[in-house]
Amino acid sequence: MAEALGNRLLALRTEQGLTQAALAELVGVSRKTINTVENGVFIPSTLLALKLARALARPVEEVFFLEKE
Amino acid sequence: MTSSDIDTADRLTRKRARMLPFLALIFVTQQISYFVEADARVRMVDHVKVGAWLLLSVVLLLALATGGFWFKPKAVRALMDDEVTRANRAEAFRIGFLATMIAGIGLYFLDQFAPMRGRETIHILVTIGIATALIVFGALERRALRDG
Repeated sequence: MAEALGNRLLALRTEQGLTQAALAELVGVSRKTINTVENGVFIPSTLLALKLARALARPVEEVFFLEKE
Repeated sequence: MTSSDIDTADRLTRKRARMLPFLALIFVTQQISYFVEADARVRMVDHVKVGAWLLLSVVLLLALATGGFWFKPKAVRALMDDEVTRANRAEAFRIGFLATMIAGIGLYFLDQFAPMRGRETIHILVTIGIATALIVFGALERRALRDG
């Protein structure tokens, strides 16, 4: 069975009252990148995943997880 | 990097995604006149047409490879060339390369029945490669910009 990368980016971002643009600014990427990661369209690199987790002050495995397709 | 840079990059990225298919269309339609008016005699106007095609090809190839908007601030250009854009561009180049190879194989086969000049063959291959990459890059960027 194939596995996919799931994420709680949208939930954690809204929980902290951040817009996509605000999170993008914290991480130093475009709003498009935040949008595509949230929607599961794009699988981020390890570097970006770690930066996103740091910006949300959460461990990376809390933001990203493996899900069965 | 400021929120204004992010807004500017977002606006320009949308503009680029909208422009790319139109650029591909203009590029391809420009080639139609080249082949329709193909003639054994070489006139001055033919040199101008080939020069224009060559210039447009180089500009489009550079725009594809670098993301374009060369005169914008460095921070904005960096945002417009982030991880998603680079992945989309790599995929566009992959599909463009495949399209060029398939066209090359097709032209090689057709050459048995209707021999073509080397210059025409290169013209077709370059046009197909660049136009395909432009269309795919534009489509992937538009999908990336779609909300929800």
